[in-house]
Amino acid sequence: MTTVEETVKKIVTRIVRKPDLDFKPTATFKDFKADSLDIVQILVAVEDTFDIEIQDEDLKQVTDMGAFIAYIERKVAEKNKSQVSS
Amino acid sequence: MSLKGKIALVTGGSRGIGAAITLKLAAEGVDVIINYFRKTSAAELTAGKAREQGVTAHIIKANLAEPEKIDSMFQEIESRFGRLDILISNAASGVARPALELDTRGWEWTMNINARAFLLCAQRAARLMKDGGKMVSISSLGSRLVWPVYTAVGVSKAALEALTRYLAIELAPKGICVNGVAAGAVESEALKMYTTDQGLPQPSLQTTPAGRMLRAEDVANVVAFLCSDEAAMIRGQIIVIDGGLTLAPMTGGSGGTT
Repeated sequence: MTTVEETVKKIVTRIVRKPDLDFKPTATFKDFKADSLDIVQILVAVEDTFDIEIQDEDLKQVTDMGAFIAYIERKVAEKNKSQVSS
Repeated sequence: MSLKGKIALVTGGSRGIGAAITLKLAAEGVDVIINYFRKTSAAELTAGKAREQGVTAHIIKANLAEPEKIDSMFQEIESRFGRLDILISNAASGVARPALELDTRGWEWTMNINARAFLLCAQRAARLMKDGGKMVSISSLGSRLVWPVYTAVGVSKAALEALTRYLAIELAPKGICVNGVAAGAVESEALKMYTTDQGLPQPSLQTTPAGRMLRAEDVANVVAFLCSDEAAMIRGQIIVIDGGLTLAPMTGGSGGTT
């Protein structure tokens, strides 16, 4: 499990209040019974933790946790790259 | 209307109605502090547009559901600006559910951002308004009308309006004018999402007796007026901005009965 994945799992587990979450790549927010408020809080926590900005329109392509983690990893890499080049 | 040189905080001031208010105040010569929840890029964009008016624009990220974030936002305002002249309580959020399906988390989230945040911001802002000031709350017609799944937001807006009246009287001796505006449906991304989710008519199909749908700038113009000294004898009022729709809901926006 990558650092990003571990951190996201901790955030999601805390916000959906389910300590025994089965956090597999094919799992969805629906599987976790996350409501719209949970999802907003997860996005805010992820953005604050990794200092990234998640575009809501990008999330339409994110269908499960595997895609969500990959998206965050990409955003973190983009941020690190722009920090190095600036 | 002279607002030049004033300093304003607009909560939720980066997008939609909040951005229109920010830019209207900037156009009037007001230095603006833009509070935002998530989108730094949107806040920076609005701040950039405000600066084109020759004013100072500063952005502060803060989730107003958290009292400690409100505290740190005001600490930053105090250390950077030293005072505040105008508070616009615009930030809003809400859980869209029928009353019988609302849980306490959704209720508290909505009430905390839409109503409690105004109380906490007003408490802090009043201390920074040493020479008086203006506060304007941004309400919604959903405080008195009933719209599908708008229960939590509508009730929170009703609380916001009541708080506006109480603050107006309590802060009057300090030279602080407090009023609110309640706008009808404004053409915005938020409205489009709401109508789509609820299967309601699209914004472009709706109009008002005034002949068109409300724009964010219509709200911003009234807010700017309430921030001026010309509005000094308006206290604790909620100004309805709806193109006359609530007075004549059956006209379908035809502009009258003729």
